[in-house]
Amino acid sequence: MLGYLARRLAMTIPTLLLVAVAVFTLVRLIPGDPVQVMLGDNADAAQAAQLRAQLGLDEAFPLQFLHWLGKVATGDLGHSITNDLAVLPLILERFQVSAVIVLVAVAAATCIAVPAGLIAAWKQNSALDLAVIGSATLLLSIPSFWLGLLLLLLFGLKLKWLPVIGYVPFSENFWQAAVFMLLPIVTLTVLEIGVLTRMARAASIEVLRLEYVTHARAKGVPEWLVLGRHVLPNAFAPIWTLIGLVLGHLLGGIAVIETVFTLPGLGRLLVDSIFARDYPVVQGCLLFTAVIYVVVNLIVDLCYPLFDPRVVVA
Amino acid sequence: MTRARRPSRTTMVGLVALLATLAVVAHANAETLLRTRLNADIRSTDPGTNRDANTDGVMAHIVEGLVAFREDTSIGPMLAESWTVSNEGKTYTFRLRQGVKFHNGAVMTVDDVVWSLKRWLDPATQWRCLSEFSASGIARIEQIEAPDAQTVVVRLDQPTALFLPTLARPDCGQTAIIHRDSVGPDGKWIAPIGTGPFKLAAWKRGQYIDLARFDGYAARSEPRNGYTGAKIAEVDRVRFNIIPDSSAAKAGLLSGSLDVINSLAIPDLEDLKSRPDVQLSITPALGLTGILFQTRDPLLKDVRIRRAIALCLDTTQIVDSVMQGTARPNNSALPIGSPFYGEVQAHGYTQNIAEAQKLLAEAGYHGQPIKLIANKRYSFVFDSAVLVQAMAQTVGINIEIEVLDWAAQLDRYNRGDYQSMSFVYSARLDASLSFEMLMGPKASQPRKVWDDPEAQEMLRQSMMTDDAAKRQALFDAMHRRFIEDVPMIVLFNGAELAALRKNVKGYAGWLYPQPRFWGVSIQ
Repeated sequence: MLGYLARRLAMTIPTLLLVAVAVFTLVRLIPGDPVQVMLGDNADAAQAAQLRAQLGLDEAFPLQFLHWLGKVATGDLGHSITNDLAVLPLILERFQVSAVIVLVAVAAATCIAVPAGLIAAWKQNSALDLAVIGSATLLLSIPSFWLGLLLLLLFGLKLKWLPVIGYVPFSENFWQAAVFMLLPIVTLTVLEIGVLTRMARAASIEVLRLEYVTHARAKGVPEWLVLGRHVLPNAFAPIWTLIGLVLGHLLGGIAVIETVFTLPGLGRLLVDSIFARDYPVVQGCLLFTAVIYVVVNLIVDLCYPLFDPRVVVA
Repeated sequence: MTRARRPSRTTMVGLVALLATLAVVAHANAETLLRTRLNADIRSTDPGTNRDANTDGVMAHIVEGLVAFREDTSIGPMLAESWTVSNEGKTYTFRLRQGVKFHNGAVMTVDDVVWSLKRWLDPATQWRCLSEFSASGIARIEQIEAPDAQTVVVRLDQPTALFLPTLARPDCGQTAIIHRDSVGPDGKWIAPIGTGPFKLAAWKRGQYIDLARFDGYAARSEPRNGYTGAKIAEVDRVRFNIIPDSSAAKAGLLSGSLDVINSLAIPDLEDLKSRPDVQLSITPALGLTGILFQTRDPLLKDVRIRRAIALCLDTTQIVDSVMQGTARPNNSALPIGSPFYGEVQAHGYTQNIAEAQKLLAEAGYHGQPIKLIANKRYSFVFDSAVLVQAMAQTVGINIEIEVLDWAAQLDRYNRGDYQSMSFVYSARLDASLSFEMLMGPKASQPRKVWDDPEAQEMLRQSMMTDDAAKRQALFDAMHRRFIEDVPMIVLFNGAELAALRKNVKGYAGWLYPQPRFWGVSIQ
């Protein structure tokens, strides 16, 4: 187990190195100069040159990369060009916001989608199945900003049940934080239910066709037990894979939801930094996202034996 | 069984009186909070250095300079009681107001003023406007001294009409006079200890900036006027919430979570007009929207083609459609709100399709495509481009719109790498600066739109003199050349649109597109 873990972690190093090269290069290929964005339309050449030198942007590209990589190796992702804040603490602070929303939403979506998919599979081709799969497809098609705004207008503006804007960290006031987080979490949950329901249904249908299910039914095992003990555990492995992918994807930032609900999360930080051409923050966010992806998938892989005894981590 | 005694009439009256008193006390003690919105976080709390427009707007509540812009863009005193100019315009003697306090309770002295001004001029401060006072700028500051406890003298190497306007520029941090404890012993910025009506209470990055009323504020006696005059804080606290999404901000206003949102998008205007609990503030602004031409382009170097484009446009129709009646057409580089905007400046281009077609035929134009760069960050910039494209088509001019994000467009603008561009310039508070942003040698400053040595000489002269009549004559002459050369077509100056809850009183926009929350109360 430890050997497997070490091997997997070692394998991430070349991946992250490749990501670092790609991120550093691609960010600089985007047209636009951070110095000009900072100085605006009335900057003179002397001011621009002074700021460029101060930010180290006047150095040759490979030199800039090596400097950055050297710092990254020591855990220093540099400082933001726009506000001079250290990038890593900034990312970690913003990640906490995104992580809470994503983890709660994905957990809630899983709790709803897996039973829904299982029941739809069990009642395949019935009206219930049609309703579940239809709803899932509908949810999959809804753009996140539209749903977010709709919920905001309904619960915030029309009914005035929930606040429209603002954010309170959980460390400050748990209940207030929960109130502010409710709508973004509900939005993301609703959106993720669609994809997870479809996967749960497809995986369950496959398992329901297998011989041991037929055998269990022939023995007279009650249907709820067949579904709960034989179908669900065996269908859960592909769902778990999907959950891993979804988590990896969402933890990298839910920029649209964060923007609509004015939450200071990682996604908004990344988008704002791209518009400001804040290279160190963009690089840091993307590298951090890559690390999160790798870590989440590693955890998913390590958890496989829990759902499928045939998988051995060694 | 005993019957409960009913409270006597006297007891009841007493109770009611007590409750009423408690309610009044509670109300009196309740903190008044005004909530507004910023579309992006501020860059820093260090004015005039790491800044953008939002930073300037917030910092204007915290710090003050010796002088400040009035609403008519003239210069008025702020921390200075008065000033005199001598030695042929090279010596400025500022007499300071007495009894002005910093947010830490210390009384402002001439030493603080001299220290602050010298700090701005120290290259280590990285002041945005340092280059203005270098050898290549408007004038070099040769000496700053305090001959007595009330006077500060600044000596320049040459006279300039732009000395005071530059000191007052919001993007220069209004050359704020700050307490020396604002920086650490190593010179590093800590936090602003200014003299403004509000002090910085909290900055939660990415969330909000809280300003608290400064109870020791020494207000001027004149009424509020631009960034000068009396700055009385009527609310205890102002919270600038960072809300990038305009729809969320609008929802925040309508739900009562926000009291003021400024820099409204034009499409939101119609909906908000009909809301009974919302009032609108529409103020002409100094920003300038127009179509820039690259006069070095093989096609557009021909003034006849540039003029033909100008003559096929119905500027009034463009402005009415794009700005929905909130702005007026203006073909001059000087904004309508400028004190130098007169009859001459009001004379621009008049649509003349026949003349446009004649000019195109003379120039031998056969429908070659002309790229017009635009962005969607500012909806009015894109909308203007679309209407220009449509109107140009009527005379056979083939304009192709290329949409870029703002940073990419700014990059192309700075490199002069475009054929034409729908662009917005930020506000310039002095008439010379309105021309200066457009004029200069393209060889050394590719971002400059208008490369005309004779006009540049006129501009230089306008910067050297503070004689209003002389300046007016120079600006008139420059305007005529500008219209003749067509290096760009100015379409309109923008408008500052703000929406407020009905209970917000005293809010007033002005030519500079940043809100002022002194003199504003919540009822």
